[in-house]
Amino acid sequence: MIEFDRVSLSLGSFSLNDVSLSINRGDYYFIVGPSGAGKTVLLEAIAGLHRPERGRILLRGEEITALSPDKRGIGLVYQDYSLFPSMTVAGNVGYGLRVRGVRKAEAQREVAGLLERFGIDHLADRYPGTLSGGEQQRVALARAVAVKPDILLLDEPLSALDPVTQEKFIGDLQRLHREDDLTIVQVSHSRREAHLLATRMAVIIDGALVDEGRADVVLNAPGSRQVASFIGIENILDGTVTANDGGHATVDVGGRTFEALTDAAAGEEVTLCIRADDVVLALGDGRRSSARNTMTGTIVQVVENGPIAEVRVNSGMELTVVLTRRSVRDLSLVPGISVTLSVKATAIHVIRR
Amino acid sequence: MKTEALSGDILQGEGEVSLPWWRQRRRQHIDWCTVWFCIMGAALVGITVLAIANIASAELADPAHLLEVALSSEVIGSVLLTFVAGANAVLLLILFGTPLAYVLARSRPSRFKGVVESIVDIPLILPHTVAGLLVYLLFMRRGWLGAPLSEIGLSFEDAYPGTVVAMLFVASPFFVNTMREGFEKVPVHLENVARTLGAGTFTTFRTVTLPLSLRHMYSGAVLAWGRAIGEFAGVIMIAYYPFIISTLIYYSFTTDGIHTSRSIAFVVILVSFAVFYLLRRMTRYLGRYDDRV
Repeated sequence: MIEFDRVSLSLGSFSLNDVSLSINRGDYYFIVGPSGAGKTVLLEAIAGLHRPERGRILLRGEEITALSPDKRGIGLVYQDYSLFPSMTVAGNVGYGLRVRGVRKAEAQREVAGLLERFGIDHLADRYPGTLSGGEQQRVALARAVAVKPDILLLDEPLSALDPVTQEKFIGDLQRLHREDDLTIVQVSHSRREAHLLATRMAVIIDGALVDEGRADVVLNAPGSRQVASFIGIENILDGTVTANDGGHATVDVGGRTFEALTDAAAGEEVTLCIRADDVVLALGDGRRSSARNTMTGTIVQVVENGPIAEVRVNSGMELTVVLTRRSVRDLSLVPGISVTLSVKATAIHVIRR
Repeated sequence: MKTEALSGDILQGEGEVSLPWWRQRRRQHIDWCTVWFCIMGAALVGITVLAIANIASAELADPAHLLEVALSSEVIGSVLLTFVAGANAVLLLILFGTPLAYVLARSRPSRFKGVVESIVDIPLILPHTVAGLLVYLLFMRRGWLGAPLSEIGLSFEDAYPGTVVAMLFVASPFFVNTMREGFEKVPVHLENVARTLGAGTFTTFRTVTLPLSLRHMYSGAVLAWGRAIGEFAGVIMIAYYPFIISTLIYYSFTTDGIHTSRSIAFVVILVSFAVFYLLRRMTRYLGRYDDRV
């Protein structure tokens, strides 16, 4: 539906370098990356607000590289919602209809329906400056879908909301994606939002697309150390394959041996990615288990965060384990005590370097 | 009575004995920074007030003469001509200066943009006589623009168009710079959203950007108008006649002496003050969209 063919453009300090990606109809596509990576520039390029210096952009099978934004039929919602301060809520929602020449009576009917659908009919005559963040966001969404786009671009729409409103809004977005048959492209630097919403995603770092694909694959089996680090894999270890027995490899990491599943041949440099919640922690020397990787260590830090806790263990290298806070209390885990960590070979994602 | 009236002051704790008002006042915190700022500001305002009081005391001592001057057709005509010519210059500035200000506000920094900005500012830094000379040389009957325009019947020397064009020249930076500042304050995101909703560039400008810049347009127009109606040297070079206020005062000063020119000046002060005060009152809420304030 949207295709970037080796697109490059620069805009002040932001730039995109040779980006190729394709977004399919019905995708909930996430563009993630650290601040200043060029995510918003990419989103605005889809909307037609920046013209690439090189490469082509295709929309619905046709090249639209030079097509102006008002002719693309793409909705856009910014992080700050960008409501028109000089117009009421109803004026904002009906703006697209007005400039497209929809008759007044019809536009009013459409606007009334949208206000009701988004639960903002009581705000119709208010000005944006008097609305809360959540209300502004619903107005911005209603305004964007009023012109019935088939693609909706969202630029970090959740970042300015409090946690409670965020949860509600995630539900709204899921419903919108489902009910309106929309292709949604959302820029975010939140891995959590990507986990909850994305069907496919791209990772952009320093203006370059470093990973793209199904969201679960990118999030659980990243293609590079850089991506693994960005998407928040807690334990990333560099090592060398010492033996491979039909896909069951032995990897040396700083003198400690790990077993993992990979096709990497002996002598190959690899990076092991181990999610903190895939590591099992036991007190003392531990028990015999089916896990292929077991190591002893000493707790160096326990950080409680709501119902969960991160436990950092020194076992020759520092590994992070995620437990429930109740487990931490039941096992009386404090810095200094000895523990055993175990990880299944299947829980280790191997990146070949 | 005074002490009783202050006994409910929120600064007074419960059960405290009532203090005389002057002692209570001393207990309040004094923000000396603000006090000094007020004193320094008052000195500046004071000079203007003193100057006006000075002229007022002299003029009000002879109200008959003042009234005679104020009601003379020459003064009324001159005041009207000045205000109308100034408004005319401002209208032209709105028409031509607004697009220029928008382009300057939205274009990326470049050497070319810097040059254009400097050209816009030239009337600000030039001595007014030089500005007048520039206008005269360009619009005189043999000037680059004056010659072709006089052929189609538009003459500038000692004519109303000459007054307008001189006012426009000296007032333009005030309008363009204020307007540009206003456009810069309108977030580009608003325009981007309008574009994606189906509005073309001009529709976006007309429906989104311009309404949000009205306060700046108004401020720029008032500044430019004020500058235009106060111009003397720039105007006198190309259009000594018809008399605008400043040329009339100069003429009166050189022919009739201080007495009449002072009366005209006082009339102008009163009229200008009334007009500007009225304009400010009328546009207090212009461009404000938050209904909480």
